[in-house]
Amino acid sequence: MHGHRRQAGRSEIWWIIPGVVIAALAWHFYPVSEPAAPPTLQKATLLPQPRAIADFHLVDHHGRTLNLARLRGHWSLLFFGYTHCPDVCPTTLQTLATTLKRLDAVPTKPELPQVIFISVDPDRDTPERLAAYVPYFDTRMLGATGKHQELEHLARQVGIVYARSRAGKDGNYLVDHSAAIVLFDPDGRLHAVFGAPHDPATLAADLQAIQRHYQDTRR
Amino acid sequence: MRLHTRGLLAAVLLLITRAVDAAGLHVDGAWVREAPPGAAMLAAYLVVHNDGDRPRTLVSVDSPRFDFVMLHRSRVVDGVAHMEHVEQITIAPAGRVALQPGGYHLMMPAPEPPPRVGERIPLRLHFQDGETLQVEAPVRRAGDAP
Repeated sequence: MHGHRRQAGRSEIWWIIPGVVIAALAWHFYPVSEPAAPPTLQKATLLPQPRAIADFHLVDHHGRTLNLARLRGHWSLLFFGYTHCPDVCPTTLQTLATTLKRLDAVPTKPELPQVIFISVDPDRDTPERLAAYVPYFDTRMLGATGKHQELEHLARQVGIVYARSRAGKDGNYLVDHSAAIVLFDPDGRLHAVFGAPHDPATLAADLQAIQRHYQDTRR
Repeated sequence: MRLHTRGLLAAVLLLITRAVDAAGLHVDGAWVREAPPGAAMLAAYLVVHNDGDRPRTLVSVDSPRFDFVMLHRSRVVDGVAHMEHVEQITIAPAGRVALQPGGYHLMMPAPEPPPRVGERIPLRLHFQDGETLQVEAPVRRAGDAP
């Protein structure tokens, strides 16, 4: 009876050895295989999974094609609006310009995002008009627009809505549009959304937290 | 002589009334957003203070520099920015209403030449009771310190 128990104990020891090895291996690889905890964000909403989108075809303010390929290889912040908008759009573009300047001043030199203003009013906002308007805020910012069909195709995929509203006093129409800023990651996937109102300190802080998390998860 | 006296009395009375009204209402922090090149519409901002004991209502604004000035309001509803014309803005007694980016603002068509930083633009505010207030709004780049 006693001997039998001792034998059972010995066979348990033999099982412990591979268990320890597996545990050691798991412990060793744990930081790589387990995704890092999501970053703490003040304002931005991170998509549970970055979302791939279908290609789109717009024209930037230099007259060059702006498509999905041009979002790859760097972070991109996209804001949708129109130049006849006197309040929300210039305010947001100024906020984005200030965000770039804040990031410029960060000692760790975070990767600067490409900032793109997409006009959803292509009937009035030609690439030429955008070339005059957008760089006023920061010469690194890019304006783009395109055919209504292409704009809707992109906007719908990133959760942006817009619609012409009634005409103003002088016959000028207004355009209601989502006030959010959307963030694409260097894989060209929709990664996060910043809801309005926007402020440069929050944008800069959240962007850096998202960038660090992205780096951590692919180490 | 009697006519002069009466005229003087009327002028004094008018001045007193004006002074009382002006004491009950004042504007500060006025500025016009510098036009980005190619911008067709501009915005101006200010804060109206009602120091009196009755509500005051701003009904219109004009300026020699603009064809028209509209009272406007930006609102974000369910994440969508809307801009709407408002007929009037009422300021409660001992209250203030701020016309500021993302909220109430004045909207004007960009004149030629467009306003540039350094220019001061006269704005005249008209209230429902007939009161007017004249202010000078400096042109600023948004994001500049006031």
